[in-house]
Amino acid sequence: MDRTKTKKTLTREQYLKKFSRAARWRLPPQESEEAIADYRELVFQAERDESKLVEELGEPVQAAHLLTDVKTYRRWLKIFAVLAFGLFLLAKWAWMGMTSIQFSFAEEWWYPVWVMVVGLVLSLYWFRRHGQKNGPLSKRLVLALAVVLIAGCGVMYGIWDVTGALIYEQVSVNTWQYRQQVYLVITAMMYVGTLSALAAFAGLVLAKCYDRRWLALYILGVTVAAMIGFVTFNFKGINLDYPTADMIRSYLFARLIPIGAAGLIGTGVALC
Amino acid sequence: MLKKDLLELCLLQLLSQGDKYGYEVLTPLRAAFPDTQESAIYALLRGLGKEKYTEWYMAPGGGGPDRKYYLLTPAGQERLEELKDDWRNMRDAIASFGVE
Repeated sequence: MDRTKTKKTLTREQYLKKFSRAARWRLPPQESEEAIADYRELVFQAERDESKLVEELGEPVQAAHLLTDVKTYRRWLKIFAVLAFGLFLLAKWAWMGMTSIQFSFAEEWWYPVWVMVVGLVLSLYWFRRHGQKNGPLSKRLVLALAVVLIAGCGVMYGIWDVTGALIYEQVSVNTWQYRQQVYLVITAMMYVGTLSALAAFAGLVLAKCYDRRWLALYILGVTVAAMIGFVTFNFKGINLDYPTADMIRSYLFARLIPIGAAGLIGTGVALC
Repeated sequence: MLKKDLLELCLLQLLSQGDKYGYEVLTPLRAAFPDTQESAIYALLRGLGKEKYTEWYMAPGGGGPDRKYYLLTPAGQERLEELKDDWRNMRDAIASFGVE
């Protein structure tokens, strides 16, 4: 069996792309842009043999690793781990509708809101200090924000609708139709909550690698997922025999509106 | 003296002979230290910039786009002398064992 390891060959463009990605992930914005410009010069040097790029310059990820300030990078990894774990919890709560974590001092429906608050404060603190804008506002970001916002508003409207007194009164008249509507809203909550957490994850990675304004997608995604988590746990924990539907609606939305407003303000701040 | 110090010594010596652009610095060093990749030498060059031993400026390069030229600062010149002294001491110490 041939055990000799052959070095990968990369084109100049592939090499620079891989290096850029690794450098942007590991280095502070200004340093990474400087290093990428230097590597562009080195890689596209006329005398350079493209087939020997990896052999002469080393693996692109390794090259970025050599430039990494370990202390700063570890600090970023810790922040990223906390934010990513929060998103994992939000996605799990939205998808499964339950939590295995229990604290005696607080009701479980507040857990998603805590995750949102920690994510919002930590991410804004980090990216306002260490992030950097890169060119004009991306159209993809605007589109992604619009999609998450519309999906979130759609689910909130559905929740408003099923918790309405009118619908509640209709239950006795047409139970099947009401159940269908509730089923639809709960399914939408599952999907939109989980996908919003995934969109938030993508926003977080893109904010580090390309432009800090992608953080707006993280914050909006976290907000939608947290609001859905809050409603999910309330639906699970509430005693439906006790309050009237109208009370549920006013209880939920008296809390959802400030949570949503905080998220929208955070999204706006991230875009500035 | 570690290999890193030897590389640093050679790099500073190279720059003491005149301003050079990245590829001009990396190629001879890689030829002299074939087991060292250019990315490691580049990392060292950036490290020297952070320590203020080198500076850079952009200038037109051979008909192509502008190139980044590196130059030695007075602090870099002092560092070079320091490393040269270390190298001479090490060379004498090794020679005292009869190593040619």
